[in-house]
Amino acid sequence: MTAVPEEIGESIVALLPRLRRFARALSRNQHDADDLTQTVVERAWRNLAQFRAGANLAAWMFGIMKNVWIDNRRAHGRRAEVALPEDSGEHPAVSPVDTETTLWSVSEAMSKLPEEQRLAVALVLVEGLSYKEAAEVLEVPIGTLTSRLARGRTALAAALSGEERGAVT
Amino acid sequence: MNYDDEMLMAYADGELDEVLRAEISAAITRDPVLARRVEAHRALRAEVAGAFATVLKQPVPEQLAARARGAAPAAAAEAPRGNVVQFPARTTRPPSTPWRAREWLAMAASLVLGVFITWKLLTPRDATLVAVRDGTMVARGALAYALDRQLASQQTGAEPVLIGLTFKTPEGQYCRSFTVTAAGTAGLACRTSSEWRIPVIDAAPASGGDMRRASAPPPVVLQAIDARITGEALDAAAEENARNAGWDIARP
Repeated sequence: MTAVPEEIGESIVALLPRLRRFARALSRNQHDADDLTQTVVERAWRNLAQFRAGANLAAWMFGIMKNVWIDNRRAHGRRAEVALPEDSGEHPAVSPVDTETTLWSVSEAMSKLPEEQRLAVALVLVEGLSYKEAAEVLEVPIGTLTSRLARGRTALAAALSGEERGAVT
Repeated sequence: MNYDDEMLMAYADGELDEVLRAEISAAITRDPVLARRVEAHRALRAEVAGAFATVLKQPVPEQLAARARGAAPAAAAEAPRGNVVQFPARTTRPPSTPWRAREWLAMAASLVLGVFITWKLLTPRDATLVAVRDGTMVARGALAYALDRQLASQQTGAEPVLIGLTFKTPEGQYCRSFTVTAAGTAGLACRTSSEWRIPVIDAAPASGGDMRRASAPPPVVLQAIDARITGEALDAAAEENARNAGWDIARP
């Protein structure tokens, strides 16, 4: 209510790189990630009245992204999960050390995690939030967050080490 | 000394208090197996963080930055999401008049009342109060604001939107009936996915001169309320609590 729209707008613009990264960690490709980010930005503007002055804008918007992402997945079932990455432009490149290859393989491994583990991994490992901050964004107790994070990591480590042995499926 | 995986993970993430951190630091120097487990956590974190770090260096798409500054979405922006062809179509922003015409059309197609209501709800300043998305009406502007913030118990009657009943559905969702006084319309809005969706809207009966309270809703709105309400409507205190909690129900 008291926020000056221009200032909020610039604050949101400044957050875009991180929002896109968080979205990318939840999506199969950058295109879906940008689609998700745009929905979040639009919803943030619509619901600006709910944002309490002085609160953490990044945490608030991560929370919106979590909700939008979960809603989209419920609405569209698992359709996005079976989509082939053909149109993503993120195929493994020739060089195994190529950053795009790393992004692709980590993203593939992430996409196999259950929703709640993927969110925990994305907030803590990708976005660098503390356990406390991540638990607040996900609206769960900190113990729940740590157990989801631990399980997500175990599964991720297994998937990635499997790939490193050449088992790219 | 045995440490479980969550403890070692928290150590690797720098999340432990000083006492525990010192204890595990000491244990690591004595136990190479423990050291490797901690190192595995750090390596995985570095790999995952590093993989997505490339996204930060990419240029942000223009239309995303424009939207972040609060630019109104183009017509296509409210189309179903997740479709690969949707996003590029949003880059251009059509002039407002054709967009509004298109919105009218969408409404007329999806609703019997469409054109009439839309005309009534659009003020001369083009302050859109209702948008149509996927065939669903969603509150916007002053209407969305009133539904978000306004308490029926504290209305003066001068508000452009008057809130009537606030109640909960069996699913735990909040719904609020409302009247747009200048437009002479009344409807019901229900909170879904952090927005107010409007299942029903109709011409409001003339209020009996008492502008402090929203007049009785039209029959279709009453029917919509009856079909959704569980228990009693919220009293002033409950209404205020629900608002302060952001209208969101706890996620399972």
